[in-house]
Amino acid sequence: MAASRTTLALLLFAPLAFFAAFFLAPMAVVALTSLTTDDGGLTFAHYARILFDQYHWDVLWVTFRIALATTALCLLIGFPLAWYLVRIVRWRSWRRACVILIVVPLFTSNIVRSFGWMVLLGRTGLVNQGLMGMGMTERPIRFLGTETGILIGMVYILMPFVVLSVGNALAKIDTALEDASADLGVGPARTFWFVTLPLCLPGAVSGAIMVFALAVSAYVTPALLSGGQITVFSMLIFQQYSSVFDFHYGGALSVTLLVLTLVLVTLAGRIGERGRRAA
Amino acid sequence: MARLPGLVTASALALAAAIAPASAQDALHVAWYGGNWGDAFKACVADPFTKATGVAVVPEVGTSTVTLAKLQQQKDAPTIDVAWMDGGVSELAEAAGVLAPITEKGVPNLKDALPQAVYTNANGTYAVGTGYYSLGLTYNTKEIPEAPTSWNDLWKPEYADAVTIPSPANSSGVPFLFFLHKIWNAPAGDFAPVFAKIKELKPALFFDSSGAASNAFQSSEAIIGAHFNVGAFDLIAKGLPIGFTVPKEGVWATDARLHLVKNAPRAEMAQKFIDTALTPAASQCLAEKLFLGPSVKGVSVSPETAAKLPWGAKGSVENLYLLDWTEVNAKRAELVDTWNREIARK
Repeated sequence: MAASRTTLALLLFAPLAFFAAFFLAPMAVVALTSLTTDDGGLTFAHYARILFDQYHWDVLWVTFRIALATTALCLLIGFPLAWYLVRIVRWRSWRRACVILIVVPLFTSNIVRSFGWMVLLGRTGLVNQGLMGMGMTERPIRFLGTETGILIGMVYILMPFVVLSVGNALAKIDTALEDASADLGVGPARTFWFVTLPLCLPGAVSGAIMVFALAVSAYVTPALLSGGQITVFSMLIFQQYSSVFDFHYGGALSVTLLVLTLVLVTLAGRIGERGRRAA
Repeated sequence: MARLPGLVTASALALAAAIAPASAQDALHVAWYGGNWGDAFKACVADPFTKATGVAVVPEVGTSTVTLAKLQQQKDAPTIDVAWMDGGVSELAEAAGVLAPITEKGVPNLKDALPQAVYTNANGTYAVGTGYYSLGLTYNTKEIPEAPTSWNDLWKPEYADAVTIPSPANSSGVPFLFFLHKIWNAPAGDFAPVFAKIKELKPALFFDSSGAASNAFQSSEAIIGAHFNVGAFDLIAKGLPIGFTVPKEGVWATDARLHLVKNAPRAEMAQKFIDTALTPAASQCLAEKLFLGPSVKGVSVSPETAAKLPWGAKGSVENLYLLDWTEVNAKRAELVDTWNREIARK
């Protein structure tokens, strides 16, 4: 018993040390800078500057609005896709090919993929050429520099997280439960609504939380697709660190975004928990 | 080998150390930028330096601001000897107290640098320029066959939704506001007229990275706007229908500067490195590879390269609008904040 405990401690030491050195320490530095002035005094002025200014709340609202819409769309499109992969595809190699198709883009840098969307969604890009070719619009539609443009890029980049987590939950469901429901004379729609959906809710919630957290903090995609005409919170943080060099205010912005995101994610987690209990 | 008497081994090692001073530990650590900039610095300065001195150069790749952050963190025990940083960040580094003065005694070629490229304050010379680059008027030659002559052309209705200028997240964003302030003769210290005019601009995008600007010009998302001469001529070299011009109001420019790090572990070699960078050969090489305007006196470049320099085919350093960075840095936070509130929201 004692020996196994030592082994456990030794095994845990490396990841814990890594976590402390590369995650906790930098985080502590950011939090500390956000609470100090240039000469080292303690202050809440940087937070006051953020929280008592309507502008920052406006930007937060834009940020969370885009993140929520991204999450909703990812679920809406990702769920049927996961269903198709798990329930409809019978041929194993095809399923494997589909999963690879979904996962492979994750290996490519966000920057490259966002640049790709800049080209596709541009004034003379493929999307506008197609729309104009089909006569659906006379003038090119503006995607870049709009929330729609950012949304398209974000949904594309974050969708795999929903497909994989929902697919995983779906695959684990014992289909006997659905058969039992059918035996008891319940139609397929009600079976889906009262049996299948609650069972894959935890997977959907964890996928949604991942997507939401990544969308709230995304920098590259909104920065490139907004064309500098829409500001999300991460862009304010980047500006302070990269061009204004005010690490105190930048740190306070980072901590504000982190805390608000954690609050929202916790709330979502609660909902997921309730769903699981209900199931 | 292992059975050799200790004394022999020790003296052999001592001898080896004496004839080969350039062991890995003695390599000079130089901070420079990534991509084609780093490649050019290596080919034009580091390689000739290593050839002449036998001292290897270890690059520490990062943008100017990242380099400054590194220098601040290792202030007490620096590992970087020499650092390239852009104008603006250079002044911040000096204010942070991480630089040592560059003297003609240690760097004899300093006397050949253009007077504008030698940055001196009460503590001495804290930086020396190794080449200028500018933010000029860049346009699509297919859509706009005749070269535009004024920055005000960006507001022409026919270019609506196809214009690009830098956002403040780009290092040229805030300086560009100062440049516009100057060419429009706005009242001193008052940027309201500048913001009012930018609000009227119909942009395709405000670019935050040079890559985003290149991408926009390449895909014709932008057909006219501001871009660095380095990036624009890179596109032209790829055969794209792009033109770069210095309009009648001139262009804003800055330079990549070399700095000697305070308490540099290899200070003597560091000064030799800076000396190498200030040779006409190195300056010419940087002009050919990056189209950097030479900051060393009497450097001649091929006519082909001359047309790509930051001041245009016929200009010189006199045509560049070089900023007082202390003034810019003092107003930086305020201008970024105003930009966010006035321009970067719908």
